[in-house]
Amino acid sequence: MKLTERQSDALSELINIAFARTGAALSELTGHRVVLNPPEVAVYRTEELRGALAKFVPGDVASIHQVFAGPIAGDALLLLNYDGAVQLTELLTDGHKPSAYLDESAREVLTEVGNILLNACLGMFGNLLNVHVTFSVPRLHIETLDELIESTMTGKAEMHYALVIYTAFQIRDSSVKGFLVIVLSVASLDRLIQEVDAWEAQQGT
Amino acid sequence: MSRSGMQEASSKETLLNAAVLHWMHELAAQGIVTTDNELNVVQWNHWMEQNTGKRASEVTGKNLLELFPELIERRLDRNYKWALEGQVRVLSQALHNYLISMPSLSGEHEYAQMQQAVRISPLSHEGRVIGTLTIIEDVTERVAREAKLYAQIEERSRLLSSEKLARNEAERANRLKDEFLATISHELRNPLNAILGWSHMMRVGKLNETNTERAVETIYRNAKSQSQLIADLLDVSRIISGKLRLDVRTVDLLSIVNAAMDSIRPAADAKGIRLETTFDPAAGPISGDADRLQQIVWNLLSNAVKFTPNGGRITVQVQRRASQVEIIVTDSGQGISKEFLPYVFDRFRQADASTTRAHGGLGLGLSIVHQLVDLHGGSVSVHSEGEGKGATFTISLPFMGVVSNQNEAEGAQPVPSDDIISFEGLPSLHGLKVLVVDDEADTRELIGQVLKECGSEVIKTCSAAEALAAIEQHKPDILISDLGMPDEDGYSLISKIRALPSEEGGQIPAAALTAYARAEDRLRVLRSGFQFHLPKPVDSAELVTVVASLAGRAYKS
Repeated sequence: MKLTERQSDALSELINIAFARTGAALSELTGHRVVLNPPEVAVYRTEELRGALAKFVPGDVASIHQVFAGPIAGDALLLLNYDGAVQLTELLTDGHKPSAYLDESAREVLTEVGNILLNACLGMFGNLLNVHVTFSVPRLHIETLDELIESTMTGKAEMHYALVIYTAFQIRDSSVKGFLVIVLSVASLDRLIQEVDAWEAQQGT
Repeated sequence: MSRSGMQEASSKETLLNAAVLHWMHELAAQGIVTTDNELNVVQWNHWMEQNTGKRASEVTGKNLLELFPELIERRLDRNYKWALEGQVRVLSQALHNYLISMPSLSGEHEYAQMQQAVRISPLSHEGRVIGTLTIIEDVTERVAREAKLYAQIEERSRLLSSEKLARNEAERANRLKDEFLATISHELRNPLNAILGWSHMMRVGKLNETNTERAVETIYRNAKSQSQLIADLLDVSRIISGKLRLDVRTVDLLSIVNAAMDSIRPAADAKGIRLETTFDPAAGPISGDADRLQQIVWNLLSNAVKFTPNGGRITVQVQRRASQVEIIVTDSGQGISKEFLPYVFDRFRQADASTTRAHGGLGLGLSIVHQLVDLHGGSVSVHSEGEGKGATFTISLPFMGVVSNQNEAEGAQPVPSDDIISFEGLPSLHGLKVLVVDDEADTRELIGQVLKECGSEVIKTCSAAEALAAIEQHKPDILISDLGMPDEDGYSLISKIRALPSEEGGQIPAAALTAYARAEDRLRVLRSGFQFHLPKPVDSAELVTVVASLAGRAYKS
C-alpha cells in the first residue's frame, strides 16, 4: 500500500497539528523553546521496516512504546538513536551530566516526552476517526533495531503496516532527530486513510 | 461447568479481587489513589496515609483538586483532564519533582520534598472512562544516588585533570632544571677559561708588560663575574631552603639606591647608557636589610643595563605613595613580550635560549629580587608595552611611619664594582698596624698586599696561636681574621682576645673573613666579638674601607 501525494500531504498536515501541541507542551514543561520539525510521512510493510530504518539507527535504539486498543489498534513508538536520546534529555533538563549514558532519571524524562508526543498523535487520530482509543502505560526500551522490530511484531499473525513519521526536535540551537512509528493492521490503516481522505476533501471545499 | 461450579469460581474471583484491593491498600510500596470521573477520591492507600499524614477517612469522597489546590497552581490538573479523556500520563521526577507534596522521610540527602515518579491512567469500563488511577513512586533515594554518582565522576575527572596539570608542571620544572644546568656549566666555564688561559700565559712568562696588564684585568673581571654567579646561586639555594634571614634595621633608601647606582655606573657608561634619577625627599626611611635592598636595586639596574642597547636610558625613581615607598626602574631596552611577562620572576627563566646566550647570566637575578622583596613584606611588579618598548620594574616597600631613634639609618655598604681596582679615593691607612690571620697563604698575601698599598703596616699570621702571640708582641691596631682555620677557629680566637684586658689588646677592633657570607653567619660573627664581617672573596675597596672604619672607631673611642 502506498500513500498518494495528497494523502501524504494531508497526513503530514494533521500530524503537524499534533506536533505543534507537543512542542508547546514541552516548551512549557522545560522553559526552553521546543519545536518539532514538520513531519515527513511514509508507509512501509512491516517487513520493509528494518531496511527503511536501519540507516537512521545504526546502533542501539531508545524507544518509547505504547500499545493502543479500540476500534483502531496497534503499537505507537517514538524512536531515537542512543546518543540522540542522551542529548535530548540533557537539552530538556539543563543537565550537564558527565556521562554519556541514560540513567533512570533520563529514562523517565524520555518516557514522559514520548508519552506526550504519542498521546498528541494518537489523540489526533482518535478525534479524526471519532473513536475512543485506550492506551497502555508507556515503556522505554533500549535495544537494537532488530530486537525492537521483532518484539513489536511478536504475536501479530496478519499483515501489518507501519506509518513512519520523521521529524527532529529543535531545542536551544540543537537538533535531535527522531521518528514515530505507528504499526497498524491493514484494516486500521484502511480506515485511517479513508478518514484522512474525507478530511482532506472537507478542507478543499 | 455446573451452576455451583460457576458460583464457586465467581466467588473465588470476588475473593481474589478483594484480596488484591486489600494488598494495594495495605501493602503496596507505592502511593495508590483512585478517583471517580469527577475526581472525587475513592481509594487512598496506607502508603498515602503514611506519607501525606492524611487518613483515608479524611479524604475519601472529597475532590482531589480541592484537597490539593497546588495541583492547579502547578498546572498538573491537566493530566487528570487528559486521563478522563482516556490518556495515560507520565510525570517524570526530572521535569516535575513531585505530584503531591510530601516530606522526604528516607535516607540522607538534600531533598526536603519526596521526589516522585508518577503514572496517571484512566479507569475504563465498557469503553467509557469511569475514573482515574494515580500511582506514585518515591524515587528520592535513586535521584540522590545518581547526583552523588555524578559528583564523584566529576570529582574524579577533576582530580585526573589536576593530576595531569601537576605532572606537566613537574616535567616542565625538570626541563627548566636541565636547561639551567646546561646554562650554569656554560656560564661558569666561560670565565674560568679566560682565567686559566691568561694565568697560564703569565706563569710561562710569555707576556710583555702591556699584555700582562691586560691579563690581570681579564682574570680579575672574569673571577669577579664568576663570584657574582656563585653568590646568586648561594642566595637562591638559601631562599629555596628558607635559610635566608634578613638583618633588619632602619635604613635610608636613598643612600642605598645611590650606592647601587654608583656601582652600576661603569657598566652603564661603557654602553653609553644614561642613568637618570628622581628622588622624592619624602621617601624613606624604611625598615629592611641594607645589603639585601642594595642587592635588589643592583640586580634591577644590572638587568636594565644588560637589556638596554647602547645609547639607551635608564631612570630610577624613588617616591612615596601612601604607606609605601616605591623604587621604579625604567629602561628603554628590548622590553618583554606579553607571553613572557608572567614568568619574569621565575627561577632559571630567560625569555628564550638565544637571549640567554646573547646576554649571559643564569636568569636568577629577578627571581632573587622577587624573593628578597617578598621577605621585606613588599611587592615587585613589571610592566612592558611589549618587545622593543622597554620595561618598568616597580618595587613597593612598606614605609616606616616613625623613624626609630635607636639606630641611625644605616647607609650603603660599598658594592663590588666591575671596575679595575683603584686605590684612588680610598681612605689612607697610614700609621695603622693591621694583624691578618688566615691559614690560606694566597688570601693572606692578597690582603696584606692591599693593606700595604694603602699605607698600613701588616703583620701576617697563619693560626690563632700565632695571632695571640703577635698581639702580645706587636700591639696591632686592627685585627682581620679568617673564621675557618684548622686547630683553632676565628670564633675561638676572638673570644680569647676579648677575654684579655684592654691594655693587652682585648678591645682591638676586629673584622671576620668568611666564605659563608650572609646574615645568619654575620649575627654569630658579631655576637662572638667582631665588629665587622667581610665576605670572601674579599673586595679590596671594601677591605680598605672596613679597616679605615674600624680604625676610625678605635680613634674615636
